[in-house]
Amino acid sequence: MTLDINWRRWRLVAFGGFIVSAILFVAIFANVVAPYSPYDLDVANMLAPPSGAHLLGTDELGRDVLSRVIYAARISMMVAVLASMVGLIFGTIIGSVAAYFGGWVDMVLMRFMEVLFSFPAILLAVVLMAALGTSVVNSMIAIGIIFIPGFARLARAAAIDVLRKQYVESARAVGMSNTRILVREILPNIFAPLLVEAAVAFSYAVLLESALSFLGLGAQPPEPSWGNMLNVGRGFMANAAWLSLAPGMAIFLTVLGFNTLGDGLRDAFDPHLRD
Amino acid sequence: MQDIRKHAQGAAGPTLSIRNLTVSFAGRRQLVQAVKNVSLDIWPGEIVGIIGESGSGKTMTALSAIRLLPHKAQVEGTIHLGERDVLSYTEKQMRALRGDRIAMIPQDAMQSLNPSMRIGRQVGEPIELHRKDSASRIKTRVRELLASVKIGDTDQRMQEYPHQFSGGMQQRAMIAMGLALDPELIIADEPTTALDVTVQAEVLRLLREIRDNTGTSIAFITHELGIVAELCDWVYVMNKGEVVEQGCVDQIFNDPQADYTRMLLDATPSIHGPRDEVPNV
Repeated sequence: MTLDINWRRWRLVAFGGFIVSAILFVAIFANVVAPYSPYDLDVANMLAPPSGAHLLGTDELGRDVLSRVIYAARISMMVAVLASMVGLIFGTIIGSVAAYFGGWVDMVLMRFMEVLFSFPAILLAVVLMAALGTSVVNSMIAIGIIFIPGFARLARAAAIDVLRKQYVESARAVGMSNTRILVREILPNIFAPLLVEAAVAFSYAVLLESALSFLGLGAQPPEPSWGNMLNVGRGFMANAAWLSLAPGMAIFLTVLGFNTLGDGLRDAFDPHLRD
Repeated sequence: MQDIRKHAQGAAGPTLSIRNLTVSFAGRRQLVQAVKNVSLDIWPGEIVGIIGESGSGKTMTALSAIRLLPHKAQVEGTIHLGERDVLSYTEKQMRALRGDRIAMIPQDAMQSLNPSMRIGRQVGEPIELHRKDSASRIKTRVRELLASVKIGDTDQRMQEYPHQFSGGMQQRAMIAMGLALDPELIIADEPTTALDVTVQAEVLRLLREIRDNTGTSIAFITHELGIVAELCDWVYVMNKGEVVEQGCVDQIFNDPQADYTRMLLDATPSIHGPRDEVPNV
């Protein structure tokens, strides 16, 4: 393996990682980074175009768009992190249990996953939100549930592969219990593909969360979220395009960052590319 | 014939005693018997070779003793490990035996080590599993174990992952793991097949030393006659699921009784050039 390929590989991770950490930084320190409060009205400056005082202009109520985009990052990141975690944790448990025990356990779990999988994601999210009620926490749960089947399938496939390995048999030969084999032998060895999937799920979660709040099902105004900002901006496209552009760019950058990071990680973990 | 068995003298009873073991699998039309009515004994401190070609049932016999046969296998007969009636044990009781009283040394060490766990942790795993020892005491024991299988620079090595070990070292690490709790019986399933000849010799010497030092019984499953001649005290020859002959090494090699044993001996390549054809049984 030449140095060149290594560098290329890590460059992707570095690029994605840079965007992701910048967004995470902004999200975490929103109260320090944002120039204004996202809720302060400035009636004298409604729909003001970008200027020195308001870098990304103001919205229809005179609120600073930059500050709102920054605070919205918080909600997006929170939802994305927690939803991916929900998907990762439950999906991994379901998938590896299905693979390990096989038979009817596998059958029942995976058929259930397929039922979930067969719904279009956004439809399932809308249905779940309708059932759970509209709130940020519920949108997180709904998106998490959407992710479970994907993670479960991946975990199952990877675990089936690991189960054929001799070291699982050896673990049985030293007297390990089923739970211990799952935790000690199987989980660590299926972790890499799941981590990559988590990065991809993350960017998808950002999109889904935006879609839900665009539809009015996620974060509720006046709480800023990229989705509901887009929704509001839609009405002012002709005379105040910055209202839509700012959250749109934020979504774009976030998704780009996480996808690049995910791709980079996938390549970095790919045993065929390992030196 | 039994009275030439030197390890049997003075011992209270065999470490492993298998009587009339039959292992069968439900085939499409009829029951396929992988092991037919096999009886064998392994006495304390004895290295017993179980020899036969692929599919002769030697591994199935050994796996029955540790109860790791495929779920579909139907097992009849009795297996005693010391006083324990192994076939009547629950899965939970078996788990307590595996790795503690019976250890298994597999054929392919590389495949048998968890690639994502450090060697030190892995070798200490049986201790962690079966004894409630402190981490530092386990570590001390692992250090001793690795030293006893001649892995030097133990502190460094314990931190390494399996892929950083050579094939011979991986196999020695597996042996160290098997030795962790001074088992009564070690089942070595073709442990040297994947190794090159010089490393093979080392591993065999190590196994003999272990037997001499600890008095552990070893069941050595192999298809290589040379290894049996070098290492074993007593030999069972298996063919098509049955024990066709047993005896001490000298007798098996110098005065084989069964046709199959003679054939097996004849099939061994000799220094005097290739044979015309492989005899058929």
